This record gives sequence, C-alpha cells and structure tokens, in this order.
Amino acid sequence: MSEDLKGRVQELIDTMINPAVAGHGGFVELIDVQDNRVYLQMGGGCQGCGAADVTLKSGIERLIKEEIPEVAEVLDTTDHSSGSNPYYSAGKA
Amino acid sequence: MHRVLLLLPTTTYRTHDFLEAARTLGVDIVCASEEPSTFESHAPDNLVTLDFDDPDAAAAKVAALADRRPLAAVVGVDDLTAVAAAAIAERLGLKASGRAAVTAARDKYQMRQCLAAAGVPVPRYRRIALKDDPFLAARGVAFPCVLKPLALSASRGVIRANNVDQFIAAFRRIGALLARDDVEARGDAAQFLLAEEYLPGIEVALEGLLMGGALHTLALFDKPDPLEGPFFEETLYITPSRLPADIQASIERVSAAACAALGLAEGPVHAELRVKDDGPWVLEVAARSIGGLCSRTLRFGTGMTLEEIILRHALGWPIASLARERRPAGVMMIPIPRAGRLTRVDGVAAAQAVAGIEDVTITAHVGQDVVPLPEGWQYLGFIFARAESATAVEASLRDAHARLAFTIA
Repeated sequence: MSEDLKGRVQELIDTMINPAVAGHGGFVELIDVQDNRVYLQMGGGCQGCGAADVTLKSGIERLIKEEIPEVAEVLDTTDHSSGSNPYYSAGKA
Repeated sequence: MHRVLLLLPTTTYRTHDFLEAARTLGVDIVCASEEPSTFESHAPDNLVTLDFDDPDAAAAKVAALADRRPLAAVVGVDDLTAVAAAAIAERLGLKASGRAAVTAARDKYQMRQCLAAAGVPVPRYRRIALKDDPFLAARGVAFPCVLKPLALSASRGVIRANNVDQFIAAFRRIGALLARDDVEARGDAAQFLLAEEYLPGIEVALEGLLMGGALHTLALFDKPDPLEGPFFEETLYITPSRLPADIQASIERVSAAACAALGLAEGPVHAELRVKDDGPWVLEVAARSIGGLCSRTLRFGTGMTLEEIILRHALGWPIASLARERRPAGVMMIPIPRAGRLTRVDGVAAAQAVAGIEDVTITAHVGQDVVPLPEGWQYLGFIFARAESATAVEASLRDAHARLAFTIA
C-alpha cells in the first residue's frame, strides 16, 4: 500500500511538481511516505526560498491531495538554513 | 471552511508563521504575492498574483476571486501589503482599518501631520523634495536632525545629521537609495524625504491590537541598545518593559491617541516611541504587526501565537486571552556588520547552548551578498530567549550573539 502510494507520489513529482518548480531553479525529492504522510525535501531555488512555504502548502500539498486523496499531509524536511541559492530572500518590512 | 486571503510578499519573513497559524485554525488560505507562484495555474483559487503598489487593481482582482468563492478575511502581513489589504477589505466589506487611515500611517509625512494636528507629541518635521538643493534645504533645519524616506521600514535609509555637511551627505545617500531598482518607492515616497528633530532618550516599541477602535497592548518592548545614530539599527527587543509602571501607562495612552488620530480602528499596530523626560513621543505607528521573526517572542493565553490572534481577529472569532505569558522574553535581530558576501557562519551550536536561549535562526544564507544599514534591510538572523527576568533575557541574548561568528568576504 505504502509502496504503491509512494510510486504515485513520485510520479506526480516527476510529471507535475518538478517541472513547475524548475522554473525557479528548484526541485523536490520524495523522502518517504509513512501513515499517508508524505515527507519531501526541497532543493535548488526552493531551499531557503522566502516563498517555499507557499509553494509547499498551497501548491505541492494541494496538488498531491487532489490527485491522491488518501494523502493526509505533506511535510517538509528541508534544512532551509542551508540553502545556498534561494529564489527569493526574506527581509524585514 | 472559512477562506482567508493572506498578502505575502516573496520577501517577507512572516510566511511560515502565518501559514502555521492558519493550519492551526483550520482555515483555507489564499496566498497572494507580488510575483506569480510556480503553481498558480494549478490552484488559481488559492494562489494569486497582486500588485501591492496598486491597491485599486489588487482590490478589483480579489473582488472577482471572491465572487467565485467568498473570502471571510484579508490580512496583510507587513508594511508592503498594508494599504492593499485595507483597500481589499474596504471593497469586500471585511474587518480592517479604513484605507485612508492605513495610507496615512504608511507615509511618515502624512502620519506626522495627522498626529501633530491631534496634539500627539511628535518631533518637529519638514518634508523636503529630493530635487531641492540640499544646502539650501539644510538652512531650514535645526541640528541634530534625522533624515528618513517617507515609506521605507526597518530603519532603512534613516540617518542622523549633526551639521550641514552631514545633512547634505545623508540627503544624497537617501536620494540614491530611493533610486535603486530594489527599492519600492512610488509617488511622493520617491520624490520627498522627511527631516525631523532628533529626539534623545530611550526607545520602546508597543505591539497592539485594535478592536473597535480600542487599543489593546499585547507587549511593550524595551530596546536596550542605544539608538543614537548615525544609523538606527534595531537589535534587541525585550519584553516586558523595565520602565516604571506610570511611564508604561503613558506610552499606552500616547499610542492609543496616535491610533485614534490616524483613524486606525481594527487589526495589529506596531508603534515606536522615544521616551524623554517630559514623556513619550511617537516616532512611528504602523498598521501591521512586528516585523522579521520577532513575533516568535510572543505567546498569549495558553500558547497562542501573535499570528493566530491576528487571524482570529480578522475573522471575528473569539480570542480567549490577549494577555502575554508572564515569562520575560526577547529577540536579537542579528545586524549585518559590513557589506560583502557571507561565506561562513560559526558558533550556532555554542549560541544555542547559552542558558535561556530558545533558538538561533540564521536567515541569511552562505553565498548571499549582505548589505548593512542604511541601504540594507535584512538581518543575518534572529536569536530568541526566555528567562526569569528581562535582565537575564538581555544577558542571554548578548552572550549568544558574542558566540556567533560571521565571515563576510
């Protein structure tokens, strides 16, 4: 079950998610699927990006849940402080 | 499920904390940024691109979106989005301060005019056109004075001048800053600066929530590092304030009067004041909550975050308590010591090991070009502490900061 789910999430990442974030020099890796929770890691322009949370929650998670309704949650395991080339950098306003 | 529109610039530090608060509250979030999300075409009802500098266009676009799927609230998370959020709220009839009031608070000249007219203590001020001759402009100013852009925040472009030569240098430096591509300044904000009397004294920041025109103080922060210029880099924020109770009460009274003078009535406000021998003087009242990651110092009631309070208020939901936890807390915004490329960060583990330190978050990334004030507007990161006394919080933050080493080439 989990392997099947993992395969479907991976396919979604390959066919829809990574082509989308590639526009900002980013990529997403599937780390694991456990108890219907998807664990991802973001890299490239997504790692440390000021908009990474928006991309994850309003983009990636929404897309995965729409396509694979049994997914309960998508969780980010990225160490964003180690990002060396984020697409957007935050500042105080 | 209630839908809430969050105006989240791509450059804000606040995204994570607001999205986390929305998740906790179980609301459906619509994220609006000034740049398109890579997933906007996949989720057009939840990802929107708005021009925050054109509030009318932003309001029209959101109104069309709300026609399809109604919105229950709109929240702008920082200065860049405050006016657009007010315009959207006004158009949709959502709870917020009026657009005119927020616009006045966003423009330092308009703000001083409103406050002075209402008898709220503000430094003497003068608006000067950037096309004017700075030597002639300096003749009408008393020294020392402070020159500042009309609409930038985080002390960006704020410079003290003690004489005519320093005035002219600061005038030209601000003009060059406002002409930069990465500076969002339009209209009057791109054509004028403000010169105002330098006020000696300690500085404090009041974090508040306006509900039906009444100001509720959420926290009063001391800023123990002296802010005397030539630049005004904020570093330490410690709450509760160690000022005497009567002075704290007068700060709250003056802040409430300032909000009323501007016409601000709903939502978060962040006020900055100087306390002189004759009482508090208002430097700024912004129609937004505290910037950076500083809100992480605050917890309310049984652990509610500031972002949850802001979302609950915008939605008209009950808020169990606006009382901040009793334990003193503080943050250090880690300043950028000089311009260059950040190549290495050391000492994070040692800083985190200091008693009282809750977290050390480095937000600048290795390889990033960093720029100090007055041109810069970012920090290297944030240090958070909680302890039994405000004095202990301050000591922990200073100790932790001393253990960090940033290599800037």
